[in-house]
Amino acid sequence: MGGLLLPFLPLLLWSVSHRWYFPAIIPTEWSWRAWSYVFKANSQVLPALGYSLVIALATTLLSILIGIPAGRAMGLYRFRGQTVVRVLILAPVIVPPLAVAMGIHMVFIRYGLANTLAGVVLVHLIPVTPYVVLIMASIFANYNPEYEAQARSLGARPGQVFRYITFPAILPGIVVGGLFAFIISWSEYLLTLLIGGGQVITLPLLLFSFANSGDNALTAALSLIFIGPAIIFLVLTSRYLTGRHAAVGGGGRL
Amino acid sequence: MLFGQDIRVAKLPANQPKAQPHAWGERLKLMLMLGPALAVILFLFIGGLGLALLQSLGYLPFIGRTDLSVEAYRTILSREEFYRSLLLSLWISLASTGLATGLAVGSALVLRQHFRGRRWVMFIFQLNIPIPHLVGAVGILFLFSQSGFLARLAYLAHLIDAPGDFPALVFDRYAIGIILEYLWKSTCFMGVIVLAVMQSVGEDYEQAAQTLGANRWQRLRYVLLPLIMPGILSASILVFAFTFGAFEVPLLLGQRYPSALPVLAYRYYTDVDLNFRPEAMAVSVIISAFVTLLIFVYVRVSRGISRR
Amino acid sequence: MGKRLNINLGWLVVFIGLLPFLVQCASTGSGAVQTQAKAEPAADSPAAAVEEAGPPGVEPPPGYEGKTWADVIAEARGQTINWYMWGGQDNINNWINGFVADTLKAQYDITLNQVPLVDTVEAVNKVLGEVEAGVETDGAVDMIWINGENFHTLRQADLLYGPFAQFLPNSPNVNWDDPSVNTDLGLPVDFYESPWGKARMVIAYDSAKLPEPPTTIDGLIEWIKANPGKFTYPAPPDFTGTAFITHLCYHAAGDDPPFTVEFDKQVFDETFPACWDMLNDIEPYLWREGQTYPESHARQQDLFANGEVFFDMAFNPAEASSLVAAGRFPETTRTFVFDSGTVANTHYVAIPANAAHKAAAMVLANFLLSPDAQYSKADVANWGDFPAVEVARLSPDWQAKFSALPRGVATLSNDILDKNRLPELPATWRLPMEKGWEENVLKR
Repeated sequence: MGGLLLPFLPLLLWSVSHRWYFPAIIPTEWSWRAWSYVFKANSQVLPALGYSLVIALATTLLSILIGIPAGRAMGLYRFRGQTVVRVLILAPVIVPPLAVAMGIHMVFIRYGLANTLAGVVLVHLIPVTPYVVLIMASIFANYNPEYEAQARSLGARPGQVFRYITFPAILPGIVVGGLFAFIISWSEYLLTLLIGGGQVITLPLLLFSFANSGDNALTAALSLIFIGPAIIFLVLTSRYLTGRHAAVGGGGRL
Repeated sequence: MLFGQDIRVAKLPANQPKAQPHAWGERLKLMLMLGPALAVILFLFIGGLGLALLQSLGYLPFIGRTDLSVEAYRTILSREEFYRSLLLSLWISLASTGLATGLAVGSALVLRQHFRGRRWVMFIFQLNIPIPHLVGAVGILFLFSQSGFLARLAYLAHLIDAPGDFPALVFDRYAIGIILEYLWKSTCFMGVIVLAVMQSVGEDYEQAAQTLGANRWQRLRYVLLPLIMPGILSASILVFAFTFGAFEVPLLLGQRYPSALPVLAYRYYTDVDLNFRPEAMAVSVIISAFVTLLIFVYVRVSRGISRR
Repeated sequence: MGKRLNINLGWLVVFIGLLPFLVQCASTGSGAVQTQAKAEPAADSPAAAVEEAGPPGVEPPPGYEGKTWADVIAEARGQTINWYMWGGQDNINNWINGFVADTLKAQYDITLNQVPLVDTVEAVNKVLGEVEAGVETDGAVDMIWINGENFHTLRQADLLYGPFAQFLPNSPNVNWDDPSVNTDLGLPVDFYESPWGKARMVIAYDSAKLPEPPTTIDGLIEWIKANPGKFTYPAPPDFTGTAFITHLCYHAAGDDPPFTVEFDKQVFDETFPACWDMLNDIEPYLWREGQTYPESHARQQDLFANGEVFFDMAFNPAEASSLVAAGRFPETTRTFVFDSGTVANTHYVAIPANAAHKAAAMVLANFLLSPDAQYSKADVANWGDFPAVEVARLSPDWQAKFSALPRGVATLSNDILDKNRLPELPATWRLPMEKGWEENVLKR
């Protein structure tokens, strides 16, 4: 069990080390160099953090907007071709994104989507959409639309129906789906690298660049920054993940 | 029907009959609801996949090449490099999936019990899920390299005298570092899923078996495992598919040669000689086809199991 | 379940079958060419006033016929330039994103966007891929830190913009008569790239562990065999690794290697097997018994820092000093060059033919050659890269400042560094050598 946390310890130590050669067990000289570099105005770390956040949040928002109606259709209705649709939606979870990204790259270059934020958000939707749709579908499978009809018969406008009836009922799905969407987009490396063309520099790209440069202090500091928001997001939403909440079924489907 | 339903076996108390849309208006409404999601899948995902297939066949209309050929596949399949990469990727995926499945089921069995600190352990399991693989790989590098943290501990314990005495666990020919990274992430991922499945199955069947005189082992082997098997299978297939097609961990922790298949495809793709592009596409199409084949096998196997 | 899946795959096949039409649509659609934003001619800043015209007697580069340097500066104003460059070292990144970006913004109102790469070949690949996709004028790559085979590749494909380098007002600071400047790994530069730094291979060692390092190639090979597991080199095509094996291949080919500018397959097949033999001969005595090699120069540095291997090699003679200062190398690190010499080269910036912001790129290339930038770059506190300008051509004030620059503890003197400079292997030979190493040493 302890092994699960072990990888973090060297990260912490390395991030504040100055000299730390084999076989010293803790750094022989300490320094805040890495951290001060990370927060320096011209280090590219803060802009990358911004890019990562904007992309992940935009992807999350879009995928939820896509996922709510699609999940409703999948969860509340039985229709011909539903299995086809289900397999199609599931496919990106299983088939690796490599071929997709390489294949689509040239079209994106052609239409000016390559190297842009919009293009990166668009390709991030590929791995994210299946999760959000399936989680929403499992929420809607346990959802009773009768309440909506009752609210309408009592004179509620469509906006009010959504605001007071539908939204509270599907909120756990939105939270869990959003969490997955955010984390997947936040960690995405290959799709951003290929479609962003190196110009849309997110944290994973920067981290890879540092990890390859062999500067362990910087790599460690950036790693810690990289996991921060994901963990904050998890903690904020954790009450929807545990217990016998409806959304666990959705999480369990993955 | 592929993954989700199997896991949710016991759930789904259909609290109302499903709507069966017949009217035109209803069908149109359904189309509109599914439209955006299907647009993403069809245009971006299937479109990208199809374009990769076409380009692997040498169809590059932008530069006026429109005749199809299997030349790229022929070239790849004649290279020793490809087979060594394929074997390496298979080894990485099989080893990490197999070990992670065992560990995950074991941990889920433990976590199902009520014990002090259970909440904490649960939290750690969940904590690892959002951690990006890239950070995991950096952690592995710092821990397991020959001058890494564990090697230093080994020196402290007088087990080794120099970094070179520590076994090569990263950039090594058996891809141990890569497997360790996948194992660490996948165990948490699968553990959480398998636990959710166990909880949804409940303990009623096992209690029934107990009153009929089944011992601990029998309850596990003949009652619980068959019930959660579909869930385990779907989770492990996800892990296998992911580890087979993932790119950044082998790129960071792998040996220069042979490299994992996705890394090979990427190398071809970024070669200055653009003639390598169809070959890059071909390798990635092969990866995709392989994984798709796997789903077939899975469906067959899981059908067999659920019939039993 | 299986039956349903069959239906689904039927649909998949239909969709994939429809794809050629999609592609056809894509290829016939208009590749919308964006018109380049014409910048407002703003009031001349003092810097611009000084550099009004290009060097006398030099034709302006293509697209700027009849125009002056002032016109270029005016056009560049307000542009954002994407500079693709190897981004593996934080002190270099720091200097680029700090000093260079700030000055560029303040003096010329140009925004610098550094695009860090793991390998420069990615930028080359990107330009090639864009042009193949039909992007002729609005390319993403405005400038590349480049030399050698990458220059060769783009030049061969006629994808570089130029000639522009001689038109830059600071170009006279460069000694263009020096063959190590006007040819890049054997290939004539023809002003299609502008120099901004010089490099020379040095070998780093820890003087505390190894008071007297072997300074000949034969001596080094002997040392490797006597100390198994303590030596390795980065795997080509890593830039440093390729340069290192060049020395051994020169040595194996005799003292005066017959490597002409044009690649000669026959000579290659005759001379290089001796080099592969030499490398394979030492392979069992390398780190990890030569079963694998460090993927990059950075890994090699890491191995050296932790004492796993006893040598590091670097193309920047001052690199060891700055790594000592950063705490990454032991304080007793020193450097040497082989008695028979080590290779030296120049690094450049080039502008792709389809770059969207050529004016800004030229302004930046010119700025990099200014005494200000060259001096700041040469300072070990910033980077420690050797100047591309000939210091003797600068004003006496600048000459004094350059000679007063502190040298790091591990940096050799200019006297030593100026002697025994070997020419680089011509660019045309490098790819065959890298592939040859892969086939004959790595995969063997």
